[in-house]
Amino acid sequence: MSALLEVKNLKTHFFRKKQTIPAVDGVDLTIKKGETVALVGESGSGKSITSLSIMRLIPSPGGEIVDGQVLYNGTDLIELPEKELLKIRGNEISMIFQEPMTSLNPVLTIGQQIIEVLIYHQKMSKSKAKQKAIELLEMVGFSRAAELINDYPHRLSGGMRQRVMIAMAMSCSPKLLIADEPTTALDVTIQAQILDIMKQLSNKFGTSVLLITHDLGVVSEIADRIVVMYCGQVVEEATVGDLFENPLHPYSEGLIESVPSIEGEISRLQSIEGNVPPPENLPEGCRFAPRCPKAFDRCFQEMPTLSKKLSRSVRCFLYEQEEVGK
Amino acid sequence: MSVQAEKSPIIQKTDTNNILEVHELKKHFPIKSGLLQKTSGYIKAVDGISFSIKKGETIGLVGESGCGKSTIGRTIIRLYEPTDGQILFKGQDISHLREAELRQSVRKNIQMIFQDPFASLNPRKTLRSILKEPLNVHKKYSGKERDEHVGLLLEKVGLNASFINRYPHEFSGGQRQRIGIARALALHPELIIADEAVSALDVSVQAQIINLMEDLQEEFGLTYIFISHDLSVVRHISDRVGVMYLGNLMELAPKQDLYTEPLHPYTQALLSAVPVPRKKGTTQRERIVLEGDLPSPANPPSGCVFHTRCSAATSECKQIIPKFKEIKKEHYVACHLYN
Repeated sequence: MSALLEVKNLKTHFFRKKQTIPAVDGVDLTIKKGETVALVGESGSGKSITSLSIMRLIPSPGGEIVDGQVLYNGTDLIELPEKELLKIRGNEISMIFQEPMTSLNPVLTIGQQIIEVLIYHQKMSKSKAKQKAIELLEMVGFSRAAELINDYPHRLSGGMRQRVMIAMAMSCSPKLLIADEPTTALDVTIQAQILDIMKQLSNKFGTSVLLITHDLGVVSEIADRIVVMYCGQVVEEATVGDLFENPLHPYSEGLIESVPSIEGEISRLQSIEGNVPPPENLPEGCRFAPRCPKAFDRCFQEMPTLSKKLSRSVRCFLYEQEEVGK
Repeated sequence: MSVQAEKSPIIQKTDTNNILEVHELKKHFPIKSGLLQKTSGYIKAVDGISFSIKKGETIGLVGESGCGKSTIGRTIIRLYEPTDGQILFKGQDISHLREAELRQSVRKNIQMIFQDPFASLNPRKTLRSILKEPLNVHKKYSGKERDEHVGLLLEKVGLNASFINRYPHEFSGGQRQRIGIARALALHPELIIADEAVSALDVSVQAQIINLMEDLQEEFGLTYIFISHDLSVVRHISDRVGVMYLGNLMELAPKQDLYTEPLHPYTQALLSAVPVPRKKGTTQRERIVLEGDLPSPANPPSGCVFHTRCSAATSECKQIIPKFKEIKKEHYVACHLYN
């Protein structure tokens, strides 16, 4: 499998008054064809900004991609002129957002919103686009799709709106789907429906998915690989099985241990002490060191690099030393 | 059998171990429409729920949005006026007490922790005045003692006492939730209703708050009603768990029973829908996918409210409301499958 998307040393900074906020600070990420990669982290870890940077949707002025490359099939999206980018955005790379309530236009019918995409990107005729829109809605499980295209978004429930968003995102058979917390606002039974649909569609069309979430259960449900972010950096990357089996980075470990299990009994939850540091005032050295139970002197002085170990990588001195010792 | 089968009262009244008993509690909200705002129908948010809580126990209420779990919390604390039914707090019927009486006997003893730590604290007040307000209202302690008490509260919830003159915006979500907990504790309540108290928090902070709530329960002998949509968190913190659907309690059981042997088809579907972090080589559980969406609580289905989405539904389910009854020891379920 070859890489569909390669993000190299991506740095997106925000500027406020005289402060620089490194929201994304040197992120490397690879997504292969047909693969589902989950980007996981707590609020403020930079996972959503990473995805917006890939689509070049960073609000400007205010934020800026200051360094790095986003290689999509070999072309750097960051260098691409806006006009060229428009051909890719929404067409080959599409996006689903967390809030299905706010990401649909309330004054246009469902049909109009899907048809618009098809006419713009696929150069379809209006009648053909309408036909296709109905097919797409059927594909995401609406039985009365032909009537639905004349409905306005406020008539639909949250789960239905998210299915409409998926239909719209899949309308041009994208190569890459970026899903930013697609099920976070939904109830569990509806979440199960949506995850099923996403899984089916990515299998059917061979679409790669970048899933952004904080829910480790959802990750294990549909992802192949998992990338853990903390304070704008990748701290660990591994296959989903490996990570849950044996998390290497103390942060990943803490994250997994913090979640109560629905299946077993734990008398006390392992929590990570303290809070995520504010992005304008990050600690020296390893950014996780002040909260890390295994931190030693070096962690507070030097920033560890993301080092590769077989099929996984981790940003932690504990494992660097291990390798040197071998 | 009549169509409107009567629901049997499932608990003995005036059991002295019970800190709270709820009998056939109903809360209907009128739907106003038209120019004259005539009542054209009712949202049956809570429609006949009975349960009891023992002192020192944690009862979890789970269900999806719109099932009425928050309404029941707010009705128990009397933020909403109950439409019908009884709420007994330590044997006293508080369901129709007047405001002044409420303040004397109920408000002090039942407190609430809210979901949104950003919206539930007044942004223009310092921590000191937020935490002193309940003490002032209830005239507890003299002036100087109040300050000491506030300092003590902060310490109890793991906040630095030097924060006392700061405003809510200076704190993170987790810290604000600690403030919310401190405020709830200020009057030494016996029962705390936590409505989605950890849902807005990141997982690592969520674990801190859950641990804090467990420690406080042990120290002060608190009783909790823990309302949440997160089935894993509820399993962790509760002793018994009730599952709600469309204003009705479908199943109530000790957590071990409920999670390992769910009886109601809705509970089974709900539990199977929760995605679980999997280790290598373990298989995903079989999932029961519910078709369709939640019916409107303004116009709930006849008979069993779940029959429109239930795979085991029979014609009986469409007509007759199932009784909420004890199938096994302490395991209550409202379903015709278990007659």
